[in-house]
Amino acid sequence: MSTAIITGASRGLGLALARGLATRDWTLVIDARGADALARTAAELSATTEVRALPGDVTDEWHRGALVELAGGSIDLLVNNASALGPSPQPRLEDYPLPELRRVYDVNVLAPAALIQLALPAMSARAAIVNITSDAAVAPYVEWGGYGSSKAALDQLTAILGAEHPELRVYAVDPGDMRTEMQQAAFPDEDISDRPPPELVVPGLLELIGSARPSGRYLAGDLIAAGSRS
Amino acid sequence: MSALSFELPTGLEATEPPEERGASRDGVRLMVADQRQDGLVHARFNELPSLLEPGGLIVVNVSATLPAAVDGRRGDGAPVRVHFATAARNLDERWRVVELRSADGSRPARGGPGEAIALPGATLELVAPYAAADRLWLARLDGDGESVPELLARAGRPIRYGYVPRAWPLEAYQNVYATTPGSAEMPSAGRPFTPELVTALVAHGIGVAPITLHAGLSSPERHEGPVPEPFAVPPATARAVNATRAAGGRVVAVGTTVVRALETVAGEPAADGRADVRPGEGWTNLVIDPERGVRAVDGLITGWHEPEASHLLMLEAVAGDDLLRRSYAAALRGGYLWHEFGDSHLILRD
Repeated sequence: MSTAIITGASRGLGLALARGLATRDWTLVIDARGADALARTAAELSATTEVRALPGDVTDEWHRGALVELAGGSIDLLVNNASALGPSPQPRLEDYPLPELRRVYDVNVLAPAALIQLALPAMSARAAIVNITSDAAVAPYVEWGGYGSSKAALDQLTAILGAEHPELRVYAVDPGDMRTEMQQAAFPDEDISDRPPPELVVPGLLELIGSARPSGRYLAGDLIAAGSRS
Repeated sequence: MSALSFELPTGLEATEPPEERGASRDGVRLMVADQRQDGLVHARFNELPSLLEPGGLIVVNVSATLPAAVDGRRGDGAPVRVHFATAARNLDERWRVVELRSADGSRPARGGPGEAIALPGATLELVAPYAAADRLWLARLDGDGESVPELLARAGRPIRYGYVPRAWPLEAYQNVYATTPGSAEMPSAGRPFTPELVTALVAHGIGVAPITLHAGLSSPERHEGPVPEPFAVPPATARAVNATRAAGGRVVAVGTTVVRALETVAGEPAADGRADVRPGEGWTNLVIDPERGVRAVDGLITGWHEPEASHLLMLEAVAGDDLLRRSYAAALRGGYLWHEFGDSHLILRD
């Protein structure tokens, strides 16, 4: 049985992906900051597969160590999904409070890097790392300077790790706009009900996780199209 | 999984150290299963020197056993026993994977997330489930910063399962050559060695070299894969292993822990299936089964393992299916004794 670590798994894309992997018999190590929501998620997923749930913050060193320990000897998949948007609404860079900017980088860049460092010695042959990114990493959207630049850093971290570890599959995946709490926080005054639910992204992610695709950056929309062809 | 399955009669469980049965440590029985010979040989452990050729090398695990069981009380006052596994890889010494057991240690017990267990002068919090059945937990000692090793030194006793009715002192669970504390349970294949026997081996022209592998809890392994364990193969041992085999001598591992350590540092196998080893230390996740095979050892001294134990897959990798089946059938028929205080099995490869 394969083992995956998924951060930020109590809601949104993390929860949808955890559900998808659970039905495929993955052993799941999941975390979230909110203990109650995480306990509900763990209870739900435990009906389908083995789940080890650890409440906590990915920026805490002990928490990351505990996550990797819970995965046991062999990690087949690490999904860095937990992300911080920053203040809502997001400020322009000239007004961005530096402590908030630091927090965004801590969650979106340094925590994934640290988890990867801990997980690498336990990763099985052909294991995959999936870092959830955003189109804001590429396009200069006004007021997305904190989140967008942090995801750009995560993209480059992903690309370089892929070059340094040809034996692994290291992916950055841009899921596109989804109907999630983070999306609502990013667009506090908008009706986001036109955005697709995160569940729509999961088949493409599962296809990528099970694939032999080379390391790199992928758009969920392209993966879903590829998945539906096969 | 291995096709080898059997019922272990209660009468074949060693319930006390052989010293208590009026024998010496090296007086236990030793079955020799040699791929180069047709029949099995029934001997005593102290005959080992005559059963090995001069020029050979015995590799031993010098990890010493920790007093890894601590008695405590649950929130409702009910007694419980906690078995502490080896150190957690990326966490400080207040963290451990633990197994909850019934008050007498005989059966697993369940826990719940966030549960606090009162230990002598300390509190243990069950932080997150480590594996199925709510039996294994990643746990943290709360309080004044005392570490798990400090707690064990103060309040721990050796782990003991239901087939051993009496408590024995920690010395009963130490190999004569144990130097480096760290094993949650005794690496018991080495238990029959005595100073006199080691001397006799050396006088016979057989070398002895150390590795360290801190053995984790054995009970999870009955149905689950082996847990990651910390190991070290020193440069001098790696050189001795390679030189012995290059000169035509045989390398015999004392215990499955030694096989795991040596095979972890073995290179890619040559055409004859053998590989040199290099020095190394770290954590090993290696699982040895017949498909993976062994590359770095020519033999194994081990105890008698329970059915379903993942160790049996390693034994099959060393002995082959046929020889292993014949060995176990003969051991059951011949009344060999199982477990850490029991009899021994010497497997030699072609």
